[in-house]
Amino acid sequence: MQQRRELDQVYTNRKLLNGQLDTPKWWLPTVVTLGLIVMIGIAVILVMVNKGLGVTGLARPVYWGLFITTFVFWVGISHAGIMISAILRLTQAEWRRPVTRAAELLTVFSLLTALVFPLIHAGRPWRIAYWIMPYDVARGIYPNIRSPLIMDPVAIGTYLTGSTLFLYIALLPDLGNLRDRTTGWRNAMYTVLSLGWRGNPRQWKMQTVGGILLSALMLPIFVSVHSIVSWDFAIASAVEGWHSTIFAPYFVIGAVHSGVSAVVTMMALMRWLWKWDDFIRPEHFDALARLLIVVATGWLGFTFLELTFALYGQDAPEIALREMQMFQWPWNGLFILFFLTAYAIPVPMWLFKRVRTNIALMFWTSILVNIGMWLERFLIIVPGLARRTPFVYTWEAYRPSPVEWTIFIWSFAWVTFLMLLFSKFFPLVPLFEQKESQVFTDDVMIGRAKVPAIVREAD
Amino acid sequence: MTIASFGSHNWGMVVDVDKCIGCNACVIACQAENNIPINTQDRVERARSISWIRVERYWEGDFPDAKARFIPIMCQHCENAPCEPVCPVYATYHNSEGNNVQVYNRCVGTRYCANACPYIVRFFNFWEPVWPESLRNHLNPDVTIRSRGIMEKCSFCVHRIRRESRKARSEGHEIVDGAIQTACSSACPTTALNFGNFNDPNSKVSKMRDDQRHYTLLDQFATDPNVIYLAQIDADKKVGVGEAATHG
Amino acid sequence: MASETVAAGHEATDHHAPPPQVAAEVIARELVATTIGASGRFKAWAWILGALSIAGIVALILKFIDQGDDSTKWGYVAAMVSFLLSVAGGAPMVSMAPVVAKANWVRPVTRIASIFSFAGIATVIMLIPLVAILPPLVTEGARRRTVWYIAPDYSPHFWTTLGLVLLLLTGIMLFYSAALPDFASMRDHSTGWRQRLGKRLARGWVGTDVQWRTLRMRIGMFGTFYFLILVFVNFLISTDFGQSLVPGWRDAIFPMYHTVSGFQAGVAAVVIALYFSRKYMKLEKYVHLDAFWSLGRLLFALTLLWIYFFYSSFIVFWYGRSANDIATLELLIKGPMIYAFIGGLVLMWFVPWWILIWNKVRRGTGAMVVGSFIILIGLLLDRIRTFVPAWSVPPERIHEKWLTVIPDTYWPTVFDVLIIVGGISMVAVIVMLMTRVIPVLSVWQVQEFNLLAKPIKYIKGHATLVAKPD
Repeated sequence: MQQRRELDQVYTNRKLLNGQLDTPKWWLPTVVTLGLIVMIGIAVILVMVNKGLGVTGLARPVYWGLFITTFVFWVGISHAGIMISAILRLTQAEWRRPVTRAAELLTVFSLLTALVFPLIHAGRPWRIAYWIMPYDVARGIYPNIRSPLIMDPVAIGTYLTGSTLFLYIALLPDLGNLRDRTTGWRNAMYTVLSLGWRGNPRQWKMQTVGGILLSALMLPIFVSVHSIVSWDFAIASAVEGWHSTIFAPYFVIGAVHSGVSAVVTMMALMRWLWKWDDFIRPEHFDALARLLIVVATGWLGFTFLELTFALYGQDAPEIALREMQMFQWPWNGLFILFFLTAYAIPVPMWLFKRVRTNIALMFWTSILVNIGMWLERFLIIVPGLARRTPFVYTWEAYRPSPVEWTIFIWSFAWVTFLMLLFSKFFPLVPLFEQKESQVFTDDVMIGRAKVPAIVREAD
Repeated sequence: MTIASFGSHNWGMVVDVDKCIGCNACVIACQAENNIPINTQDRVERARSISWIRVERYWEGDFPDAKARFIPIMCQHCENAPCEPVCPVYATYHNSEGNNVQVYNRCVGTRYCANACPYIVRFFNFWEPVWPESLRNHLNPDVTIRSRGIMEKCSFCVHRIRRESRKARSEGHEIVDGAIQTACSSACPTTALNFGNFNDPNSKVSKMRDDQRHYTLLDQFATDPNVIYLAQIDADKKVGVGEAATHG
Repeated sequence: MASETVAAGHEATDHHAPPPQVAAEVIARELVATTIGASGRFKAWAWILGALSIAGIVALILKFIDQGDDSTKWGYVAAMVSFLLSVAGGAPMVSMAPVVAKANWVRPVTRIASIFSFAGIATVIMLIPLVAILPPLVTEGARRRTVWYIAPDYSPHFWTTLGLVLLLLTGIMLFYSAALPDFASMRDHSTGWRQRLGKRLARGWVGTDVQWRTLRMRIGMFGTFYFLILVFVNFLISTDFGQSLVPGWRDAIFPMYHTVSGFQAGVAAVVIALYFSRKYMKLEKYVHLDAFWSLGRLLFALTLLWIYFFYSSFIVFWYGRSANDIATLELLIKGPMIYAFIGGLVLMWFVPWWILIWNKVRRGTGAMVVGSFIILIGLLLDRIRTFVPAWSVPPERIHEKWLTVIPDTYWPTVFDVLIIVGGISMVAVIVMLMTRVIPVLSVWQVQEFNLLAKPIKYIKGHATLVAKPD
């Protein structure tokens, strides 16, 4: 449980604005290095667009590979933000407060990254506009709304818009704070961005109502995004590993698993890099790890159901696919690695409070989870296509090419790069949430025991 | 009415597997007719070759009684085609003559249709197609050359259907049964491949379809194909109708 | 921080007023007193429902004698087993919420939720003939599709029975382990047989530190067991008694769907029971509107989860369009079950959703209880939609690859109606009788509730300071 700690507001301001008001020494070299990787990645993407998809390792029948896997992975990571901000806000979990901003940021940036993949993986990416924008001026037809690929950009676009608004609304009080502490062009920028925030009661009320309304509205979008992504696969009745009714909730809970783990990774980095030991504390890791145990175990249940009902039909092609996925090199190696990293190593470790409050261990286990969750998507998408089907003379014809790996690495560098740029101009821990939590928590004496307590609206 | 009315055709094919000798003439004919890029060794090895029709080999029965069989496979032009609803840009759709058609201009190359197809008869152009200079003048002017980044598949030689329809309309009569032949069916030396109109009860294919040997491929997907197969008959043993359908 | 305790005994008329603070001793005395005596209306209802339950059991026996050899006629009994499992099995899960979420509002509700585990007796009674009738795994020399790939022939029969009996026992243990302090209260504050019962069952409870620690540990342990067994039984009932009887019905989400709609029905049943006991036992002082508010939110979330799980499976069948997908939809939705399906959809999701979305509804009790009744009716229709067509497939065809002929649906006879009414009455009468045996609100949980929530003045308004002990 969260222990109450008195932190005065001046200290909070000075500590949490240390990224904006002065630059840490490591910041510039890191951003330049990441920028270089990003440039290389963009160059490789341009080469791929210029030469054609022949430069990838894709081949018949594996027409979707690393790009789609990474797309699903980043959409999954994006579920962190709403999970942490909206759901925990609606369920009034007090420990969410210092984490919300980072989680929402992760949502926005990972969605921006995820969106790139379906675009560049298309055969003719320069013609993609009329797939995403429903215009019929030149062609006389609208896009095919029966296609899940139409619903994908719709869902992701809505989610991105909503998350950006959500992020911005939560940023307003902090922008006002920064405006008052800066000079020159920065002051001008914050003045414009803070929309005249002065912190009067009416503004606070609007900001709170906006946040709660957006939380409630974003929840269905949150669920629908990954459901729709999962239906890209689940509706294909001809692909054995894909056609399963459980895919939508299975993908959503898997996404929460990987997203919350990514938040843990980020929290550890924030604590180390900006030295925010007073704000991001072991209790927060503890609470997130407890949440992760529940989510991961639920996810394991869904995995179990998925496998059970794959074999339930006892059809030869389905059994052959599972045999390949689990017992045939190299898939079996990946499968073991997937299971170990996504569940078998981290979750038993989290059962111990000593691990849950150890920042370094939490950092590494959360990275393990994301390795595992990436492999999970890979093991769903690729073997499903690479299976040997009746009447086809090619199968298992996929090995990701260096171009694909470069673009894969680019996506990580790109998200980190955006995040660090953001940290130069905006606080990563919401100051007002931090101060609010000071006000909303108290200690009460019950008998002789001092118990932490939370202020709630009276019923 | 003398002029062929729109929608009165349902083009389909009946493949008599019993007659097929596996000579691959259909494959070559298709390759030449439809301007399919040359399948070089490298492309075949990387599993990126394109062949709209192929002769697949499969095994039937268990070891001592096993038989090697072959079967020509092309796009099945399903009535309930799994590839059609998944295309975001209507690049593949069902036309009024019962064919599953691919509109190259619309295609953006998501390759979703290829994933959805249980027969794996859709092909992606990974590279811009190139032909040696000597073959430049051999290309069929009636067939579009597909640029890189788009899907392609058997069209039932749609250009030939259009040509014959136009001809019949200008001459003011119905299309005569047998007047339209796809490249593969006209190349088949044993008339294993038969093309025609299923809507005409007197056409050759309609009569063949009633044969008790008929079956369709992968009927568990309920795709309702317009390509009907007639099962192979073993002289020495009775084979159940449709038995070949589920073997791989 | 400036906080000031408001004087106890404030009237709870205004919604924003703080809940009244009642002394622990008063709570124990008043709650124990609610068990004693019964009004004429209560007795009349108990007799009627009891008679209906017995009629249901008799009908079940007669049906077994009459149609015991024809499995296609047992769909309604299977639907009833699933329905009762949902209501009686799902409700006690509400009592686990404080352990999981440390929510204070749920403390007064835990007892009434865990009483429902006794209603599991009704589920077991219904299951007995059904197990005898369930077709074996191998029919006509062919094995049907199940999760029992190579297991012995009668595995589903054995494990489902075992699971359901274990669920009943664990539920009773969960109830009992949390009821120890209350039996002690009955020992201290009641008279006659109730005092003797309390003395016997309290097992020397005096409330030492060790006893409290053991109590919490037991609740956690039995609660976890209960949850696991409930999921297991839901899985078996939904696959072996539903899905696997239809060739080609392969729906990975169905067990999850079954479990979630079970929780939904359980919460609805708790709301109904809470409403009636609050109203007729005058417990407004202890059951605050906060409990209804929070149960309403839970119910709302579960309603959405129902439609989500339903749609997840529907869209994959509908879009997948393979032969078994088409047959499954035809059998369960588009075919003879279309009206039950629409009824289930409207009553499980649409109507409750529109009722529960309003804050005003969740702050009150009347519309909440109407919504809960609607959900229970919807659940019954939904169970009929899934289980009756499944059982109507003749046993000689259940090992086929997919359904080629949609079997005629089986319409309920008088026996089936009596069984359905009897099963529901049995749950109601069991819960009613249990309220005469033990206080319907857990005495120690209500005491703890009052201890941990402190009404305070906050700036200009009222607020509650909720303590969150580890």
